[in-house]
Amino acid sequence: MDAAEFFQYVIAGLKSGSIYALVALGFTMVYGATGIINFAQGEFFMLGGVLAVWFHGLGLPLPVAGIAAVAATALIGIAFERVALRRQRSASPLVLVIITIGGSMVMKSLARHLFGPDELSLPEFTPGPSVDVAGVAVERQALWVWGLTIVAVLLLAWLYRRTKLGRAMRACSISHDAARLMGIDTARVAMVSFGIAAALGALAGFAVTPLTQTSWDAGAAIGVKGFAAAILGGLGNPVATVIGGLVLGLLESLSVAFVSSTYKDVISLVVLLVVLFVRPQGLFGTAQRGKV
Amino acid sequence: MSSVKRIRLFITPYLGLIAAALAVAAVPLVTPDRYVLKVLVYVGVNVIVIAGLALLFGHAGQISMGHAAFVGIGAYTSAYLVKTLDAPWLVGVLAATVLAAAGGLVLALPALRLRGHYLAMATLGFSEIMYVVFREARAITGGNDGLGGIPYPEVAGLKIDTPVGVYLLVWGVALLTLLLVLNILRSRPGRAMRALQATENGALACGIDTVGLKIRTFALSAALAGLAGALYAHGVGFISPSTFGLDQSVIYMAIVVVGGAGSLAGPTLAAVVLTLLPYADALVPGLSKDTIAVMQDWEADIYGLAMIAVVIFAPAGIGGLLKRIRLRGAGEVRS
Amino acid sequence: MTRAAAALLVAVCLPVVGCSSADTGADEGAEPYRIGAVLSLTGSYAGLGIPEKQAIDLEVARINEAGGINGREIEVIYEDDATDAAKAQAAAVRLIDEEGVLAIIGASGTGHTVAMRSDAERAGVPIVSMAGGSVITDDFSEWVFQTPWPNRIVIPFVLKQMAAAGRTNVALISDTGGYGVDGRDYVLAHAQEAGVTLVADETFNAGDTDMSSQLTKIRAADPDAVLIWAAGKEAAIIARNARQLNMQQPLYGGSGIARQEFIDGAAEAAEGVRLGTGRILVPEAFGEGTEAYAVATDFIARFEAEYGAKPDIFAGHAYDAIGLIADALGRIEGDVTSEALRDALEETDGWVGIDGTFTYSPSDHNGLTEDEMVLYVIEGGTWRLDD
Repeated sequence: MDAAEFFQYVIAGLKSGSIYALVALGFTMVYGATGIINFAQGEFFMLGGVLAVWFHGLGLPLPVAGIAAVAATALIGIAFERVALRRQRSASPLVLVIITIGGSMVMKSLARHLFGPDELSLPEFTPGPSVDVAGVAVERQALWVWGLTIVAVLLLAWLYRRTKLGRAMRACSISHDAARLMGIDTARVAMVSFGIAAALGALAGFAVTPLTQTSWDAGAAIGVKGFAAAILGGLGNPVATVIGGLVLGLLESLSVAFVSSTYKDVISLVVLLVVLFVRPQGLFGTAQRGKV
Repeated sequence: MSSVKRIRLFITPYLGLIAAALAVAAVPLVTPDRYVLKVLVYVGVNVIVIAGLALLFGHAGQISMGHAAFVGIGAYTSAYLVKTLDAPWLVGVLAATVLAAAGGLVLALPALRLRGHYLAMATLGFSEIMYVVFREARAITGGNDGLGGIPYPEVAGLKIDTPVGVYLLVWGVALLTLLLVLNILRSRPGRAMRALQATENGALACGIDTVGLKIRTFALSAALAGLAGALYAHGVGFISPSTFGLDQSVIYMAIVVVGGAGSLAGPTLAAVVLTLLPYADALVPGLSKDTIAVMQDWEADIYGLAMIAVVIFAPAGIGGLLKRIRLRGAGEVRS
Repeated sequence: MTRAAAALLVAVCLPVVGCSSADTGADEGAEPYRIGAVLSLTGSYAGLGIPEKQAIDLEVARINEAGGINGREIEVIYEDDATDAAKAQAAAVRLIDEEGVLAIIGASGTGHTVAMRSDAERAGVPIVSMAGGSVITDDFSEWVFQTPWPNRIVIPFVLKQMAAAGRTNVALISDTGGYGVDGRDYVLAHAQEAGVTLVADETFNAGDTDMSSQLTKIRAADPDAVLIWAAGKEAAIIARNARQLNMQQPLYGGSGIARQEFIDGAAEAAEGVRLGTGRILVPEAFGEGTEAYAVATDFIARFEAEYGAKPDIFAGHAYDAIGLIADALGRIEGDVTSEALRDALEETDGWVGIDGTFTYSPSDHNGLTEDEMVLYVIEGGTWRLDD
């Protein structure tokens, strides 16, 4: 394998890795703020894509359609938290998981009713031939995916470090009860976290649709991969989560080169199970929250 | 509560089982319709899966998002052994059950150290891996397009190849499964399981080996799923990966949740009714195929909403409803 | 599970007593002939199933308006298999046991047809498949017929065309469904004979959304041309991915990509793609003045008038499937049963359809040859005969 071919795989891996990272950040944020594994996170990804297609079809320019889709998905995330989850905050994790599973079924199925069973596609943000870098073809859309991921991560970092809300979120992720005793409005933190998680998922869905198309059932697969990435990063630290996503994308892409395209999708699942079983605190090891 | 009423409450489930057995035996006498019998085979298979899952969810407090994968392991194991390797049917079914149980153990041993939602994700990952294996291990599974022409069940030289025969076999096993699960629930381990459900730390403090109990329950539940899968494979004659995917696992969970945690009658009834729903036009006169098409179209929405509604508003599900009716029959209503 | 449940079981089962299947005796008078159709109306093969349904609707309406067959109308009962083998099998069971159909048209896909087979054989109901996998008729069943040209015919034709154009180093990318696996087997078996060397052999799964990695591997093998063997909508993504990777090699394909959705989905990347399939895309290929030309132009005109679009090859497969059944029904003397229909289908001799002129025999349930094949190139968003 020559260098150009190798880097072609790396480019493909970083492309899907960025998408996994965005979805994984959604898992991390919700888990940090509420202790919930949100099984509906993949559906936010799906909603971002199909809503953008729908808004675009209404005649909105592409950037406006994208922003509208991300905002609408964020509202759906907030509504889901308020309607279905808020009153159940004290319930067992079992109940919360069931609610997010049910929510994911409903979102997915409603999307099929509203937007149809077929594949939907968006034009590329900036159409044109790929950029050729020393024999490695880089799609223009991939540049957009990376750019948007970087912007989202920087915004998130600013929110976490520089704002009062961000500090409240960090406090919640360290100890929910302590945060509440300190006078932090944990309900508001939970709601905002769901909104941001939904927006991140939707952004990923919007950015990648011109490359892969999307459809009502696109959420489940990306949900599992995003969760695998989040677990790889330890399900707590946003920076580790992003690295987890990129590593997973690279692993998948290189597995096609060195193993076989057949088992590409199994890589993330095996990573998920191995990390869960062997090192539940993730590769970059912050200790797991205990609750006895 | 007087002792008579107590006894009545104790034996009611067994009476229910006997009534169910009579109903099962009566169906072929009432209708010789091949299609109805085939649909009821699907129902029987689901009852077996749900009985095991109800034990796991309702009594050991564990979520499995991968039970369809265990059904698939059972189905492919038995189909491969009997169809390709010419093994006797009983050997195939036994191997299916054992292999599914082994799969359950492999997953449960490390996963049950994890908290509830982690286990749910682990089972989901396992389910997706098995889906890929079913699809890719073409020499054994026939790949994406499935495996057809799986032989009918055959016991001691007797080939069960009529719709009535297959129906009676599947439902016979289903009733035995219900009896087994009922007995487990009433035994000491069953009570221990309920303690586990109430509070895990409490159970630990009472000296109950919670991890061991959970692992055994998970393996048993997987074994029953494998058994159901084997029955499905030979009864229907065709299997393909999509039957054993994540969607089906989620539907199993939905049935158990709607049926009610901590009950066996509830989930069983839910399995019967919800499995029959897509075929209602064949069973209820005057119901058009279009009505059913609309119902099928909205099936997932209904399942999802029902799951959310039940855990929020009526955590005891259909089982809770049945229990209230029973208590009222026994002259006492607890609010 | 108490008496209520028992009552429920009995109640739901009672009304269906006596509506058992297969009693389609002659004493039913003007009852229509009931034919089942299992199509992929949703899912990856929806682009096949939808035009198939349109063609069947069109032909059934024409036949019934003309007075039906032997004074009896044809009624088609549709089932959607959602491009899922298990659903296709369940649909076949329903059509046979519940609807009591004489025959089943379908399925749209190869794997889905194979899934229905054992139930149709057990019940003795003929299947007329519209899928192109060779396995459908090579793995012979007296109950299964096929209207399209199987891979056995198309693949050697396309490989020879590639070799004739000097593109002897070929990379293959195929799907893991029935059509792709079947096609891949034939490519591996016939490459040498056609004078073609396979330099890369990649696969993908139905539902995959990015084939860049497989194509990167193919690009590294430096082939003269890439052969796409797939029937789903993923083929369009492959064409787009290839363009995004700046691959210059021409793309080839077969019947699976002979659909407008491929051109729409791949957009500019579809330009210059070559494919081997039947003549319906450019009916002049039939040769003006022939009976086949008359049949095809008549069908195309009526289809266009009804649906506002030209029929594709899949509509043609469906035209042939319902046409062959109608033709066979008309030739039956005595009781019309599934068995009699099967026998009549097997006696089909020189029936002129869209996919070719059909002559079935007890050992050949496809009845077509390589002579029905032509090579197209996609230009300006449509097909043109390649010269």
